[in-house]
Amino acid sequence: MRGVAGRAGRRFVSSLPALFGVLVFTFLLMRVLPGDPAVFFASGPNAGQAEIEDIRRRMGLDKPVPEQLLLYLRDIGTGNLGRSMTTGQPVLNDLRNRLPASLELTFCALLIALVLAVPLGILAALRPGSVVDHAVRLLCTLGVCVPTFVSGLLLIYVLYYLLGIAPDPTGRIDIFASQPPEVTGFLLVDAALAGDGEAWWAAARQLVLPACTMALFVLAPLARMTRASMLAVLTSDFIRTGEALGLSRRRVILVYALRNALLPVITIMGIVFSTMLGANVLVEKVFSWPGVASYALDALLSSDYAPVQGFVLLMASIFVLVNLVVDLLYGIADPRVSIG
Amino acid sequence: MRIGRREILAGAAALAVPGGPALAQSRAETLRQVTGNTVNTLDPTMPGSTREAFGISVNVYDRLVGFGRRQAGAGWVFAPDVIRGELAERVETSADGTTFTFHLRRDAKFHDGTPVTAEDVKWSFDRHVTARSLAAVQIQTGSWTKAEQFRVVDAHTFEAKVERPDRLALPNLCTLYCMIINSKVAKAHATADDPWAQAWLKDNAAGSGAYRVESFKPGEQVILRRNDDWKGGALPFFRRIINQTIPEAATRANLIERGDADLSIDLQASDVPSLAQRPRVKVVSTPQFNAFTMVAFNTRMTPFDNVKLRQAVAAALPYQDIFKAALFERGAALFGGDWSETPPTARFPQPMPMKTDLARARALMAEAGFPNGLDTTFSFNVGSAATSEPMAALVKESLARIGIRVEIQKLPDAQISTMVTEKKLPFLTETSIAWLPSTDYFFRNFFTGEQRWNYSSWNNAEINDLTAKARFERDPAEYERLCKRMIAVLAEEVPLILLWQPNQDAVMTQAIDGYTYQYHRQVDYRDLRRA
Repeated sequence: MRGVAGRAGRRFVSSLPALFGVLVFTFLLMRVLPGDPAVFFASGPNAGQAEIEDIRRRMGLDKPVPEQLLLYLRDIGTGNLGRSMTTGQPVLNDLRNRLPASLELTFCALLIALVLAVPLGILAALRPGSVVDHAVRLLCTLGVCVPTFVSGLLLIYVLYYLLGIAPDPTGRIDIFASQPPEVTGFLLVDAALAGDGEAWWAAARQLVLPACTMALFVLAPLARMTRASMLAVLTSDFIRTGEALGLSRRRVILVYALRNALLPVITIMGIVFSTMLGANVLVEKVFSWPGVASYALDALLSSDYAPVQGFVLLMASIFVLVNLVVDLLYGIADPRVSIG
Repeated sequence: MRIGRREILAGAAALAVPGGPALAQSRAETLRQVTGNTVNTLDPTMPGSTREAFGISVNVYDRLVGFGRRQAGAGWVFAPDVIRGELAERVETSADGTTFTFHLRRDAKFHDGTPVTAEDVKWSFDRHVTARSLAAVQIQTGSWTKAEQFRVVDAHTFEAKVERPDRLALPNLCTLYCMIINSKVAKAHATADDPWAQAWLKDNAAGSGAYRVESFKPGEQVILRRNDDWKGGALPFFRRIINQTIPEAATRANLIERGDADLSIDLQASDVPSLAQRPRVKVVSTPQFNAFTMVAFNTRMTPFDNVKLRQAVAAALPYQDIFKAALFERGAALFGGDWSETPPTARFPQPMPMKTDLARARALMAEAGFPNGLDTTFSFNVGSAATSEPMAALVKESLARIGIRVEIQKLPDAQISTMVTEKKLPFLTETSIAWLPSTDYFFRNFFTGEQRWNYSSWNNAEINDLTAKARFERDPAEYERLCKRMIAVLAEEVPLILLWQPNQDAVMTQAIDGYTYQYHRQVDYRDLRRA
């Protein structure tokens, strides 16, 4: 176990230069973008040069860029990510409040996607070229082709607007329901901790539509990868040996084949998770989900530097973390694999 | 015992009954407004505060005085010439128009229960003119610039003085920046670096208004609760207000159609006609009479420093077609005015005498010295693409007929504000608004000076002179003469072409009543009731 911790620690340290690079790159990129945030935020009929200069000073934009960068790095070192002009709050607070919303949605979507994709992939692999295989292929293609905002709006239109089954698609919990006391920020967990069944149900109902929308979108890579790697494994020698020895088909497929086919699926899962977290901005917008991606987009549109930089840093850190977890999962799925 | 589906349903219905009526009651007394934008601060004077933040502050804070309202068509609009008391019971204006004495309501209390005194009023105004905020730049247009102008007479009497009788001195005090803050609470949260408690008031309110802030989540929602001790007027109908951010316009429309939300004022113009047909939905459309959409020329840059060229463009634009294609005629036209030389009224904006006349446009092009035409760009911001895109296409097409080759440039909001401020764009369209719709105020803000609002960077000696005079003109007849002259010069020189005043379409459920179009273009919840 100590070996695992040591490996994880080494991996983390070796990713620090990459994080630093991302930090500096985003910082410079934001300054190269056209559009001056100070001008944008100075409104009022007589906002002249004085007001613009004042805002520029408050945002620290009056100093030369290298000095701004040093100050920014010092702030990051002390855990200060700056203040957002769009929400008026410290970026760290905003991210802390919004990250659980994004994570909760992404976890649920990934869970739904896995529960659907792995069996579908196995089914398709067992009978390649059959009707089942084609049906799975069609479903996956549809999921990838239809942009999330279209599938999201479609689901809202049918399930909320026409049928009235779904709750109104706005935010994490029914606006008239009472919110459970905040412990982790994950509403499902908080409601369960508080023993508040009603709040848990209200939050879960809100989650279904956006999570399904996202799951549809990532169904394809997961199902296709399961199918491909299952196909490769099913033709290998040890499967034939297992079958020859008269093991039950169920045991051969679920224990011997699936476990060996899972490695590439885990890799893809890591990538899919990181992508979902950052790229679910459309889903967040459509369902008014108060997550980090829509927050970063709003900030980007108004050239609000601090939140965008904070967001990119957060995403890079999560990416590093997810990769680490994926590596550890490798070890569980296949003890022969060891990544140093 | 066998339990069938019917029994389960009956059981569920029985369970649902106890909370039922009480819940329904509180829903009826709750107003849920959905908006695409966010409330980012509770202090509207913070630089960068959004329009939605303005709307919240109107309901949470009181001012000394406010604007009245009047019926217009099917709905209500604010009345800039009717000034009613809020925290002040009455106002006395001295004979020379320079001194205003406010008599405060004796029973008015802040949300923490302490009485509103002249000391609080004085502290608030000192803050508005001294602190670096949006308030200072706004109220200087009414000659309010320094703390010495404000004086406490006694606990319930407050005096404010201007040097010259500025026409907009009192109207400026009605604007939402002039909110009255609980000075004891604010001072307790002030620091040496922040003597006016600007950081604390961003996230906390210390007012006396009709509503208290129950919860404030920037970017998500604000929930207000009625202040039952409010003395500023009749108690508002709604006990609870939910102002929720929902970025997707289609979702906002769905929510209102299904009756889950009550009101939205920022739906897509193209959706409004079909929504108006639905039985459960009501649309109150009001031309925004203190706003205008225009096409502006940069009068300090070639080629549009040439007045003949500007006139040529003005004669070439297909006004009616643009009005139809871009706005579906949902607004009041500001073209096709039937006058020359002198306008019929001193009101502004009013329809200008612009008509499509291609022969005249071609003649003017030749006179301007562009027989071979010219190339230029036409810019607009992405946020207004729904109306600006069709407009730009028609501008491009029509100007091609008189030899002007237009390239269309669509810019993100932050970028276009930068370029407008730096006066780098030759030719653009924008929509702008003035809180105080008086003619000299419009001309001062939009047609003189170096600020961003002077879109055409116009610098006309006669206009500069006229606006400076009109500001302090107390004789109504003379004021009218000055304003008419300004409008006439504008029509002749065309630094920009007025197009229309877009409607504000407030879409609500049938039962909502009393919606009023306000100068800040947000919802004053005190006006509303459920029928």
